[in-house]
Amino acid sequence: MVNFTAADFTALTTQREVQGISRPALSYWQDAWIRLKANKRALVSLYLVIGLLLFTIAGPWVWRVNPAAQDLDQIGQPPGTDRAGRIVDDIQPWFGDEAAGVTSVRVSGDATTQAVRLQWSALPGANGHRVYRNMFALGQERAYGIPIAEIFDNSTLYFVDRLDLKPRHYYYFVVALGPQGELLDSFESIEVDVQRVTTVDEAIEQGLGEVADGLQVGDRVNMTWHPLGTDYLGRDMLARLMAGARVSLLIGIGAPFLFVLFGVIYGSMAGFVGGRTDQLMMRFADFVIALPFLLFMILFKIAFGIGPGESGVFPLLVALVVLMWPATARLVRGQVLQIREQAYISASQLLGAKTNYLIIRHMIPNTLGVVLVTVTFAIPSAIFTEAFLSFIGMGVAPPTPSWGSMSNEGIKTMLTTPHELIFPAALISITVLAFNLLGDGLRDALDARMRNTE
Amino acid sequence: MWLYTFKRMLQGVLTVWFIASATFFAMHNVPGDPLLNDRAMTPAVRANLEAKYGLDQPLSTQYFIYLRNLARGDLGISFTQENREVNDIIREHFPVSAILGILAILFAAAGGILWGALTAIFRNRWPDYAIMFLVILGISVPSFVVAALSQLALVNINALAGTTVLPVAGWGTLLHMLVPAMVLGLGTMAYLTRLMRSSMLEIISSDFVRTAKAKGLPPARIFAKHQFRNAILPVVTVLGPAIAAITTGGFVVELVFAIPGLGRFFVEAVQQLDYTVIMGTTVFYGAFLVFMVIVVDVLYGFIDPRVRLE
Amino acid sequence: MTQLATETVLDPQTSPPLLEVENLAVEFDTYGGTVQAVRGVNFTVEQGKTLAIVGESGCGKSVTVQSMMGLIPMPPGRITSGSARLRGIEVLGRNAIAGKEIRGAEIGMIFQDPMTSLNPTMTIGDQIAEPLQGHRGYSYRRAFNAAIELLDLSKIPEAARRARQYPFEFSGGMLQRAMIAMAIACKPSILIADEPTTALDVTIQAQILDLLRDLQTETGMAIILITHDLGVVARMANEVAVMYAGKIVEHGSVDDIFYRSAHPYTLGLRAAMPTNDPSLKHELTPIEGSPPDLFAPPPGCGYCPRCPHAMQVCDSRDADDYYLEARHFSRCWLHHDAASLKPDELYFRNSD
Repeated sequence: MVNFTAADFTALTTQREVQGISRPALSYWQDAWIRLKANKRALVSLYLVIGLLLFTIAGPWVWRVNPAAQDLDQIGQPPGTDRAGRIVDDIQPWFGDEAAGVTSVRVSGDATTQAVRLQWSALPGANGHRVYRNMFALGQERAYGIPIAEIFDNSTLYFVDRLDLKPRHYYYFVVALGPQGELLDSFESIEVDVQRVTTVDEAIEQGLGEVADGLQVGDRVNMTWHPLGTDYLGRDMLARLMAGARVSLLIGIGAPFLFVLFGVIYGSMAGFVGGRTDQLMMRFADFVIALPFLLFMILFKIAFGIGPGESGVFPLLVALVVLMWPATARLVRGQVLQIREQAYISASQLLGAKTNYLIIRHMIPNTLGVVLVTVTFAIPSAIFTEAFLSFIGMGVAPPTPSWGSMSNEGIKTMLTTPHELIFPAALISITVLAFNLLGDGLRDALDARMRNTE
Repeated sequence: MWLYTFKRMLQGVLTVWFIASATFFAMHNVPGDPLLNDRAMTPAVRANLEAKYGLDQPLSTQYFIYLRNLARGDLGISFTQENREVNDIIREHFPVSAILGILAILFAAAGGILWGALTAIFRNRWPDYAIMFLVILGISVPSFVVAALSQLALVNINALAGTTVLPVAGWGTLLHMLVPAMVLGLGTMAYLTRLMRSSMLEIISSDFVRTAKAKGLPPARIFAKHQFRNAILPVVTVLGPAIAAITTGGFVVELVFAIPGLGRFFVEAVQQLDYTVIMGTTVFYGAFLVFMVIVVDVLYGFIDPRVRLE
Repeated sequence: MTQLATETVLDPQTSPPLLEVENLAVEFDTYGGTVQAVRGVNFTVEQGKTLAIVGESGCGKSVTVQSMMGLIPMPPGRITSGSARLRGIEVLGRNAIAGKEIRGAEIGMIFQDPMTSLNPTMTIGDQIAEPLQGHRGYSYRRAFNAAIELLDLSKIPEAARRARQYPFEFSGGMLQRAMIAMAIACKPSILIADEPTTALDVTIQAQILDLLRDLQTETGMAIILITHDLGVVARMANEVAVMYAGKIVEHGSVDDIFYRSAHPYTLGLRAAMPTNDPSLKHELTPIEGSPPDLFAPPPGCGYCPRCPHAMQVCDSRDADDYYLEARHFSRCWLHHDAASLKPDELYFRNSD
């Protein structure tokens, strides 16, 4: 037992502040911001979104490359820094080396990206030859690769390969043909290492040097650097991605803002006015919602038509806005109806508040949360739709780049140049993901009722 | 209950009318002469077509002809495929798309409900994290990429196995339908999983579940009759629009997997500006979707008594 | 406030109590830290009697009873000490005693908001039948018929028709009756009512309380009534436990609490009650301030900052339970022998 003194039982005069407020008061938005920051996933996606916007807006200022410029000597180039090349003369016609004599298949001169010159002697029993090229060595199944030449007599025993040459290893197969042009068993093969070259004119075109500076045949140059590679037309991927970002995000962010704006105006009017007008307005909105979305996107596309030279961005934008505003209108109207019934509105009215004041001070701030979340989720949806439509050729018209059309082109060469597909598809995915997670975070931060109860 | 259904059907007819009208006016804004295409057309044929569709008449007359034909179920004749009635085209190719769509929806709904319930039950443990990670992938990767990649995967699987485990393209057997249906349903399944998860989490912490626990009911019963039954409601609500999304999104999968469905023909018709096919398909799809939404709504009435007794 | 017809003073115990709760402490892990919701609670419940637990929101009353029922999810929640014994057998952490399940069969519970506490997609009859099917093994038919009888017992008219209806077709008062029917279906020995009338109109309130009383008389079950409304306490309770900041600060018979209040907080509660006596013309006197933060509970008495009679020792150490009579104690330093301050309003041993 503890000992008490008499002093222990005297009255307590110093008291802690009972009515004190322990923490500073937070406004709704400050509280929401704190919650958002605490949500790590949402924070990361916020940074991603900011990064994407920077990439889109400031990117072309930093990486000043014309997205339409074609680098013909680096078509389908994978990403990387390997770009050493040599300057050679323009190509001259060639009809085989006389001095070669009887020989198994050989390469004449250097094997370069400009041309690979093959020469061989007639194979035993051959009435002609077929030349194949492969990226891989011959396997068990004897798949020779891509046929690039077919000669039905033995007078022509040479071939100049100029087809889409990349600076890499190739395997060439010369296979004998029988009298009916059928493949025989005998063949010869050669392994070739192709070097990257360019001509003086092309070098000047690409800004690699000037004749005045002594640019001449035989010089070693570093070709234009394409950090993310090039596409099937030799266009720089990074520049195209940036340009595509502008298109995709213009539509992806612009359309949602517009249709949400329209939806908010329409929905709040309907909710506020109420009665028959409200019913009618909502009935109309329901009709528009019932239209099959993608079908009508396509219909609008062809209805507006695209003239030659137009990019098709504007019709797409309009179509998106026209088809998507009703969903937002319904949402906002629901919110307005809900808020109207709340006690603080009646209290405000009792204190003498006019309708304008109610709208500005009470309705709008309380619907802003829902609207903000709606916009954030509408953006990935719009980006998807644009990508989708561009993918089937119903979106923006070439050559205007958009991530969707770039993916479409990339899929065609998915197996040989995967980077053409990976980059735009990845960007679409990351953007959609970032906005979705951001939307989640905003929803959790702004409205307890809408919370995902993580 | 039946009054409810009847009202919905009436609304549905009105909606279809709206869709048809919107289609009509949209198509009539397309620049160019509808009958002008590559095929040479004899003046007699041209005159017949013009008479049939009233192409030389004022717009309002054309509209009425159009509506009258619709009411009779006459969707016209294809402009580019001679002598093929649009109805025939639909009759031949729609069942393919429908089967694909139904399989996809079943896959999406079953998967979504299952995964969503699992993440809620194992909340914040590893099944939750694993499933949610896949879900996030599912909602962000575009469907055409998934379609292309899955084809690639199939090719490799078949090569590894030495035989055709699953066909890479085409249509015919159940095996042909599996992978395309899964690809088509993937995005919706991810969305439904999230929906089911948040619904379950909300229900799990609700008052009436607390009451059920206070009554000492066995956990299985609490799950089945109290939690699950109420958590499913928002998912069923969303099924209507989900069906819409899947059916109209089907054409990419049809294109990639070379499936002879209506969506693919629609895209081709658009590229060739075959007006009757475009309009007919759109109206048909619209009517079909409206019908499906009504079916789902009625189904919902069976599950949630609050709706049907109002 | 209703006047009781006769004064009641509790006898010293002649029979063992039905439920004994000793030193119960419950904590919660939250994102803001650990909350000590219940910090050492002792009370008993007598057979056939009503114990009212009174206190402000957040004082721990619901957590106390819910942890007894095993309704607190134990990952964020934790029982750090204490025991609860029903007829001598420990109840905490167990699902059944001697074959009879605790939740639903031995102890029934009804909750505050009947509108949200019932499954909206099941008929009322089905929901009442459930515990009978689960605990008593009744067939569905038998259970449903029993449900109709229970609805009748709870004074719901047209019970047979009502049993087939859904919760949204009932009014608030009727739903609460249905909840009561559901809770007593298996004839529990204790019924816990967690603020059963808070969400209802005053007139309905009176009906529900009367129903509870009648049921108690008929079945002999004990009732634990949780409320913050002293009027309800006066009408229903035999014994009262006053809770503050996770501890019971005064416990006694209903007369003890009202006529012989021995704790400043009880006095504060009584003074804050509105009265319908027109002759009295003084202002409502609320208790200034708010309860302490249970993330970091004070070492001393929780009521200290708001107490007009606080002493030095109150700030640093919490008092023991001082017994004024056999069944009436107060947790207040003012009852210590060395305390010289003896405010008039309070009841002290050997006063009058």
